[in-house]
Amino acid sequence: MLNILIVGNGQCGNRILDAVNKQAFAGKNKFSKFYSQQKFKGRVETIAVNTAKNDLKELKYTKAKDRIHIPHLHGVGANRNVGKQVFLDNKDIIMRYIEEKGNFDVAFVITSASGGTGSSFTPMLIKELKERYDFPVYAIVVLPFREEGTLYLQNAAFSLRDIRESGSDGIILSDNQFLKQLGGNVQSAYDGINDMIAERILFLMDALDSEMMMVTDLGDFKTVMSGGAGIATIGFYKSSKDVPVKTAIQKSLSPAGLLFSTDVYEEASRAMVIIKGDKSYLSIDDISNEVEKLSGAIGHVFKGIIIRNGVYPQVLAVLTLESTSELEKLYSIAVEAIHQERDKKTRVETEKEIEKAFSQINGLEPQY
Amino acid sequence: MVDLKKISVFVFLAALFLMLLVGNASARVSIFNGTITEGDGYQINNYVIDVSSVFVEANTAVFKVYEGGELKKDTMIERNDSIAFDFEEGEMELRLLSVYGGVLPVAKVFITVSDYNIGNIYTSGIVDGGHEHATYSGTPVLEITKTVDKNNILVGDSIKVTIAAVNTGNDEAKDVIFTNPMQESFILEDIFVEPASTTSIDIGELKTIYVYILKATEAGTFTLKPTTATFSNNADQNFPPATSNTPKVTVEVLEIPKKTAVIEISTDVDSVSVARNDQITATVHLKNAGDAPASFVWIEIAVPEEFEYISGDDAIEIIGGVPKIYMDSFGPLQEKEFSYTLKAKTLGTYTLISKLSYEYNNDVDFENQKVSTESVTNDIYVQKGKYDDLYEQPVYIFVLPIVAIAVIGAWIYHRYKQYRF
Repeated sequence: MLNILIVGNGQCGNRILDAVNKQAFAGKNKFSKFYSQQKFKGRVETIAVNTAKNDLKELKYTKAKDRIHIPHLHGVGANRNVGKQVFLDNKDIIMRYIEEKGNFDVAFVITSASGGTGSSFTPMLIKELKERYDFPVYAIVVLPFREEGTLYLQNAAFSLRDIRESGSDGIILSDNQFLKQLGGNVQSAYDGINDMIAERILFLMDALDSEMMMVTDLGDFKTVMSGGAGIATIGFYKSSKDVPVKTAIQKSLSPAGLLFSTDVYEEASRAMVIIKGDKSYLSIDDISNEVEKLSGAIGHVFKGIIIRNGVYPQVLAVLTLESTSELEKLYSIAVEAIHQERDKKTRVETEKEIEKAFSQINGLEPQY
Repeated sequence: MVDLKKISVFVFLAALFLMLLVGNASARVSIFNGTITEGDGYQINNYVIDVSSVFVEANTAVFKVYEGGELKKDTMIERNDSIAFDFEEGEMELRLLSVYGGVLPVAKVFITVSDYNIGNIYTSGIVDGGHEHATYSGTPVLEITKTVDKNNILVGDSIKVTIAAVNTGNDEAKDVIFTNPMQESFILEDIFVEPASTTSIDIGELKTIYVYILKATEAGTFTLKPTTATFSNNADQNFPPATSNTPKVTVEVLEIPKKTAVIEISTDVDSVSVARNDQITATVHLKNAGDAPASFVWIEIAVPEEFEYISGDDAIEIIGGVPKIYMDSFGPLQEKEFSYTLKAKTLGTYTLISKLSYEYNNDVDFENQKVSTESVTNDIYVQKGKYDDLYEQPVYIFVLPIVAIAVIGAWIYHRYKQYRF
């Protein structure tokens, strides 16, 4: 049984963490916490960290004792510098809390790359965890919509770099820009994205701690995550009817099935494909053919098969990337955003000369 | 020692004997012994003995005896002779003792009477000029008539009573005293005429004595009591009292139609079948179907113990734990309704009773008439309530779900607290 730590930083991280907790309940609805218990495969401890109390209050499925509010703060205003300082000032509280949770085999830190708290806390938290513990720490990073604003874009750029430099054992990317195809209003779109990421995380944790027909374990996951450029994504497909497992594998690897859009056959470095379902649906030949096709393109592919009676085929693929054109696009946009912000700041300083114009009427009164 | 008591009895008996002896009619009693001048007379009661002529030389005299002026005897007697004649119930004797001459001759006579009660002599003496100048006494006869103006009247009506007296005798009635006793069953309303304490009635005189008004107070046939009168004549002779007639008066009761107050009371309920713990509304209907107003109207609502009084109209007051309605008066043809709500507590069949009492005056009797009555509703069936079956279940039937709910509630609260930040 694996001991897994999941930390959600900032609003985005909190919500995905809450979605994980929600889906761990049997009913997966808003009342399920009252009549069911969370069913994680191993021992899973979830911790939500935030500087905004209201964000923590919005959580529904994460126990209150697992929510850490940095006192006297109402967010950091998307300012990573403030966030970093806050973390330094309060890291003992956070780390002591994690310490009290016990020993872990693996940790996932979920965050948005664009916000204030999550994007600034996550690199420093990972660094602290790596310095204090020897279990692998993986970051699950959500990239912003490209049109969300320059501050978020530049935060994402610097945060992603900081996370990568923090000693993280790997970064699993999830791209809101790509996932906005889910449609609906903003709230439902965010909820859909969060549920999608949570479903994949739970599937992954289940897979790493299950007895499989063909085994993949945490070691395999580490190996996969250590490949490529340290950037990974997750593909997933869950059929709602009897579809060939070959189709399910192909869909999980298609851009529509990935959290971060990429051409896995071109840009992936290592992969782990986990297939779950009733054995009647799982054709070994089809599985082998598809896995071989992937391994033929990218190299080594770990594969695991979990037999679940009566379950339609479900496929989860973890893929590390050697390169990512989409990320390069993001950074090029981010650079533009940084320039825009710098220009904006310069303009603001220039506009301060308006005060000189106001000073000309000092000591005068209006005459009527 | 002499027995005084015996002496007293003896003296009394002796006196009585003497009295009887004096009044004995058989004894001859001297009336007059003296002289009477010729032409004069001597009157004893209504008898006058005239000395008509005196013949001194012949020692004779002529005597004429008149009774009430009517000559009864005319005779001449000599000296020492006597004549006797009837005198009322007795006998009178006249003896000529002597005669004398003078301007007018005089005869000395001795008059006695026998077999006569001397007490009945009311007058005696010399009458100058003889019988023609004597005064004779008569017998007044009073006839008293008592008349009423109506002989048939109703209770409360009045009659006029007139009492008159006529003297049909031959002498004036003097010292007449009338006695008119009070009449039972009548009250004296007024007096128009009443006599003086004593009066007199001449011969033939008709005199109205009483005129008064009597008011009948009760029904019946009544004979008016007679009016009596005592009287005497000019010679102060007393006569037996005169008595009037006694008219009859019939007094009847006028049948005045009596008024009544008849309050009709009924009570109905909005439902004759009610579930336990449910409420029913009862309405008391009142109507005065009589022609007299009722007063002191009380309605007492007898609520069975198996019901609980919940509320009612403002007029309903709880007095001593009993709902009651009071009205000072309730006029003819007046109608009213009072509603109240009860809660059924126990299964069963019940009725609601409204007890009514009131008074009224029938315009005839002085006292108020008192009436008590009551109305009873149809049977009211109190049946099992919607949840009565639950109440009849064993305790654990309730306890277990309550415990389960409590546990679930506690669990939900625990979870709520667990997830509330």
